[in-house]
Amino acid sequence: MERVGVFLCTGCDIGASLATDKLEQLAHTSGAVHVASNPCLCAPEGVASIRSAVDAGTVDGVVIAACSQRHKQQEFRLDPAAVQVERVALREQVAWTHPPGHEDTQALAEDLLRMGMVRAKKMVPAKRMAEAVEQAVLVVGGGLAGLQAAQAAAGLGHPVVLVEKSAELGGYLAGVREVVPDAPPYDRLQQSPLPDLLRAVRADPRIRVLTGTRLSRVGGQPGQFAVEVEGKAGREEFRVGAIVQATGARPYDASRLAHLGVGASPDVITSAQLEPMLASRTLARPSDGKPPRRIAFVQCAGSRDAAHLSYCSSECCATSLRQVMAIHQAWPEVECAVFYRDLRAPGQIEHFYRAVQEQSRVMLARGTVEGVAAAGGGLRVSVKDSLLGERVEIDADLVVLATGMVPNSADGELIRQLRDAKNRIERNESETQRKAAEELAASLAHHEGTEILNLAYRQGPDLPVLAYGFPDSHYICFPYETRRTGIYAAGAVRAPMDPAQAAEDGWGAAMKASQLISALGRGETVHPRSGDFAAADFFLQRCTQCKRCTEECPFGSLDEDAKGTPQYNASRCRRCGICLGACPERIVSFADYSVDAVASMIKSIEVPDEVDEKPRILALLCENDAYPALDDAAMKRATWNPWVRVVPVRCLGAVNVVWIADSLSRGIDGVILIGCKRGDDYQCHYIKGSELAHKRMENVQETLTRLSLEAERVRVVELARNEMARIPALFDEFAEKLVELGANPLKGF
Amino acid sequence: MATATTISPSREFRDEFLRRGGGDAVRCFQCATCSAACDLTTPERVFPRRQMLWAQWGLVDRLASDPSIWLCHQCNDCSVRCPRDARPGDAMQAIRALVVERVGAPRFMAQLVGRARSTWPLLLGLPVLAWALFILVVNGFAVPRTPLVYGDVVPVWMVYSVFLPAAAFALGAAFLGARRGWAAWGEGAARNGSLLEGLAAVASDVLWHRRFRACGAGRPRWAGHFLLMWGFIGALATTTLLGVLMDVFGVKTPLPQVHAVKMLGNASAVLLGVGVVWLVLNRAAGGEAAGRTRAFDAFLLVLVILVVFSGIGAELARLFLPVPVALAIYVLHLGTVLSLFLTFPFSKLAHALYRTLAMAHERLTGQRSPS
Repeated sequence: MERVGVFLCTGCDIGASLATDKLEQLAHTSGAVHVASNPCLCAPEGVASIRSAVDAGTVDGVVIAACSQRHKQQEFRLDPAAVQVERVALREQVAWTHPPGHEDTQALAEDLLRMGMVRAKKMVPAKRMAEAVEQAVLVVGGGLAGLQAAQAAAGLGHPVVLVEKSAELGGYLAGVREVVPDAPPYDRLQQSPLPDLLRAVRADPRIRVLTGTRLSRVGGQPGQFAVEVEGKAGREEFRVGAIVQATGARPYDASRLAHLGVGASPDVITSAQLEPMLASRTLARPSDGKPPRRIAFVQCAGSRDAAHLSYCSSECCATSLRQVMAIHQAWPEVECAVFYRDLRAPGQIEHFYRAVQEQSRVMLARGTVEGVAAAGGGLRVSVKDSLLGERVEIDADLVVLATGMVPNSADGELIRQLRDAKNRIERNESETQRKAAEELAASLAHHEGTEILNLAYRQGPDLPVLAYGFPDSHYICFPYETRRTGIYAAGAVRAPMDPAQAAEDGWGAAMKASQLISALGRGETVHPRSGDFAAADFFLQRCTQCKRCTEECPFGSLDEDAKGTPQYNASRCRRCGICLGACPERIVSFADYSVDAVASMIKSIEVPDEVDEKPRILALLCENDAYPALDDAAMKRATWNPWVRVVPVRCLGAVNVVWIADSLSRGIDGVILIGCKRGDDYQCHYIKGSELAHKRMENVQETLTRLSLEAERVRVVELARNEMARIPALFDEFAEKLVELGANPLKGF
Repeated sequence: MATATTISPSREFRDEFLRRGGGDAVRCFQCATCSAACDLTTPERVFPRRQMLWAQWGLVDRLASDPSIWLCHQCNDCSVRCPRDARPGDAMQAIRALVVERVGAPRFMAQLVGRARSTWPLLLGLPVLAWALFILVVNGFAVPRTPLVYGDVVPVWMVYSVFLPAAAFALGAAFLGARRGWAAWGEGAARNGSLLEGLAAVASDVLWHRRFRACGAGRPRWAGHFLLMWGFIGALATTTLLGVLMDVFGVKTPLPQVHAVKMLGNASAVLLGVGVVWLVLNRAAGGEAAGRTRAFDAFLLVLVILVVFSGIGAELARLFLPVPVALAIYVLHLGTVLSLFLTFPFSKLAHALYRTLAMAHERLTGQRSPS
C-alpha cells in the first residue's frame, strides 16, 4: 500500500516496557504518513482514531502495533476493500516476554515495527471471487446419512439431488427393523428411523432422488460442480454447489475369517446375515432350517487384528447387543452368549448394555475367540483369555460373527497413480520405465473400476483417503472436511459409526455444504481460513511447468493443461500457500502474503555486526498452532532469547526456501521453523504442509553444506497447540547452538 | 497349548439364581472392586468376582464345590462399593441358598425348604398341627390341675417320641450334606489333618465371631448374631441339662425360678430375644449394607422369632394368662421347634454347619493363616 499509517498502543505494559517515542520516530523515518499512539488502542477512542484516519483517506494501509493478531479482532476489523491491516505483536513478543527498558528489547520492538510496516507496504488490495454459485447440493449415497443430509440440506433451502447406485434407498438399515436407542431412557429397542425419513425425503419437492444411478463425471469446482450421471433414465448433466459423499460402509469380507469357522459350517454367519432373520422373525439355522437353541456371538471378528482390520468399528458391540435383545424378545427360550474382548458401549449405549444384561439375561463373556469348529452337528467355540482364567470351549447351534466396517470409498490418489502407470506403459518410452510402470499397475490393479465420484481433477478421480480408506482430513478437529473443498464426507464412509451418529453426520455435512455455498456467494473461502477471499495469483508467464504446485496442492485445486501449466480453481483453494512454498520460480502470491512481502520483512531486520556478538534468529511460525502457542507462552509471561524475530506464516508448507537463502545471505545466523505435527497422526491444518516443509528444509540443509555453511543453522520443529511450555527452550537452545557455531560468515556482505 | 475346559452353562441354575435374589448380579461387569474390598481374596483366589462370573454363566458345579462361598459372612463391603449395583453380597447369599438345596438330602426336603417362598405355610403349619393332633389324640388337652403344668398335658415321653426322631433326622441329613460338601471341597485342595483338628482350630474364631467382627458394612449385624448364637447354645445346654436332671435325678418340672438350670434357660431366652430383634431391626434399617431379604432369610428369621417368643410366651402365659391361651402358645412353641429341627439342614440355619466346616477346611488346607 502507498500510505501506511502506524498506530501504536502504549497500554498492556507496552508503554512501560519500551521507549515509544523512539518507535514513533522510527515509524516516521520509515515512511509512515500518519503516526499516532494511544494508551488503549482497542478502546472506542483508539479505534475511532484509526477509523477517522482511514475515512479521511489519509491512510490505505494500517499497522497496528499493539497485541497479537489473534486478539481484539473484532475491534480492529476494518473494511478490507478500503484498507489493509497488519498487526505487530508488541505486547506478546516484546512487552510481556522481555525485560523492560533493555536495549535488546527496544531493538526487538523496532525490528518488529519495521517488518510490519514493510509488509503493509507490500500488500495489495484483494479482489473477491465473483462467480455465480449454484445453490444445489448433490448427495451421493441413499443410506441413513445420505437421506438425512438430503433432508437437512433441503431444509436449509437448497435444492438437492440424491444419487443412489442401487435400485432402492435405505442402505444397510433397509434390512433392519429396530435400532439401538438414541433417546431416553435408552433401555429398549427403538424403531428404525429409516421409514419416516424415507417418507419425508420422497415427499419433499426440493429433493430429486435418482436411484440406480452412478456419477460418471464431476468437473468444475465448488459452487460450480458440473455433474454427469448415468442411470436407468440415461445420461444427465446438472450443476451443483457442493457435494456430500455418504457412501457408507460394507461389512468386512467374512470369507477371510476361516479360523472362525466361516466355510466350515453354514451355521457360522455374520451380524449382517442375521439381520434379515430378525427383520422377518424367522430364526433358523442355515444348515437345517431348525431354530437354534444357543447362539454364540463373536465380537471383534476380524477387527482389532493386524491380519484383518486393525481398527475398532465402534458399533459392532452395540449391534450384537441389539440383536441379542431382539432375539430375547421374539424367542425368549433361545440362549445367547456374547464373547467379547472389551465390550464397547460408548455414551448412552451403556444404559442399553445394562438393559440387555438385566432383561435378556444373556451370557456376556469376556474372552478372545480362537476358533469355531463343527462338532457333532453343532459348533464348538474355543475361547482364550477368558475371565475364568483358562481356555474354555462352549457348544452353540449358531455362531454370529460381529464383523467390522470397511468404508465404501475409492482411493483417488492411487487410482491416479494406476492411470499414470497405464499411460506410461502405453507410451513405452523405455524398457525400464515400462517395466516399472507394469509392476506398479499390477500392484494397484485392485483399484481399477472403483471410482465413485469420478472427479475431473488432476490429482485423481476420488477423495484422498487416510490409513484405512476413510476419506477425512482430521476427524476430531474438522469433521466432514475432506481434502477436496466443497465435498463433505458423512456417515460410515467417514469413520465407523452407528446409525444415530450417521444421521447426525448427515446433518453436519449438509450444514458444511450450506456454509460453503453461502461463503462462496460472498466470494470467501472456507475452513480453516474462513472469511479470507484473497485468491492465489499465478504469474504464469514465468511458469516452467515443473508441476510442483499441481503435485503438492493438498486440495487438488490445480489442474494442468496439456503442457503442464497449472490451471487454478479459486473455489477449490483453501489459501494455504503450499503452492507459494513449492514454486521455484516464485510466481505464486496472495494479496496479503507473498514471497516478496516476507522476503522484504526479512530484509528489514537490522543485523548487527559480528563484533557486537548479537546474533539474529528468524523464526517462521505456523499461524494455526505454533503461533497461538507462542501467544499462550507470552500470556504466561514466559521469556526467551531477544535475538529472535518471529514471522507468522500460513503454514510451514507456505515457506518458500528463498526466504531461508535471503536470511542467511543477509547475515541472519539461523532460521527456525515451527509447525504442526506430521506423519500418520498429523495435526497440520493443510495435511501435507509440515511434511513438505521438512522435505524442503532437508534439501536446503544439503545446499548449505555444499556452501560450507552449517546445516544446523536451519531447524524445523514440530509443536502441538498445547505445547507452549516448550517454546522458550526451543528458542534459547537454538540461540546457544548458534553461538556455538559462531557468527554467520556471510554477515556484512 | 493348555487343554480347554468345556463349559456347559446351566440355564436352569441361572434362572433359579436370578429368581432367588441374584438378579442384580447380571449387571456385574467383572471390574473386581468387590474383590479389592473383600479380605477373603488371596492372590490365587479372587473372591467374589470369580463366583459372580460362575453364577452369571451358570457354572453350578464350580459353585457347589467351592468352600469360599461359605467363608463369606455377607459383610456387604462388596455390595456397598459395587459401581454397577450388582450386590455381590446378596449374590453370594443366593448362591448359598441354591447350594444348600443342591447338596441337601433327602432331596424333597431340600427342595421343600428351598421353595420356602411358597411352602412356608406347610413348613410352619404342619408341625404345629401335628403336635396339636398328637396331644388331642393322647389326652384331649385335659388339664388335671391348676396352676397349669405343661408336663401334665404333654408328658416327657411325648416330647421324646417326637424330638428324638426329629433330631436324629436332622443330624442324619446334616451328616449327608456335610459329607457331600466336604468331599467336593477336598477335590479342589489337599487337606492336611483331620476334621476334628480343623474344627478345634477354628472353634474360637466361630465362638467369638472373630471373622464376623472384621466386617465393615455388615458389622452392626455381628452383635445380634453373636447374642443369637450364644442364646441357641444356652438353650441347647438347658435342654440337655434338663433331660439329665429329669431322667437321672428325677427332678420334677417346672423348676423354681432360682434353679441354676432355669436361670440358664431364662438367660438364653433373653439372649435369643435380644439377638433376633437386633437382626430384624438391622434388616429393617435396610440399605445395601444389610442386604436384600429373600424368602431364604425371612423364613429362618420368622421361625426363630416364633420359637423364641412362643417359648418366652409359654413360660409367662402359664402364670399370667388363661389356660387355653397358654396351651395354644405352648403348642405353637413345640411345633415351631419341631420345624426348626426338621428344616435345619436345608434352611439358612445350615450355614452353622457348612460355614464351620468350610472354615475348618480352609484352616486344614493352609490357605489362610489363623486370624
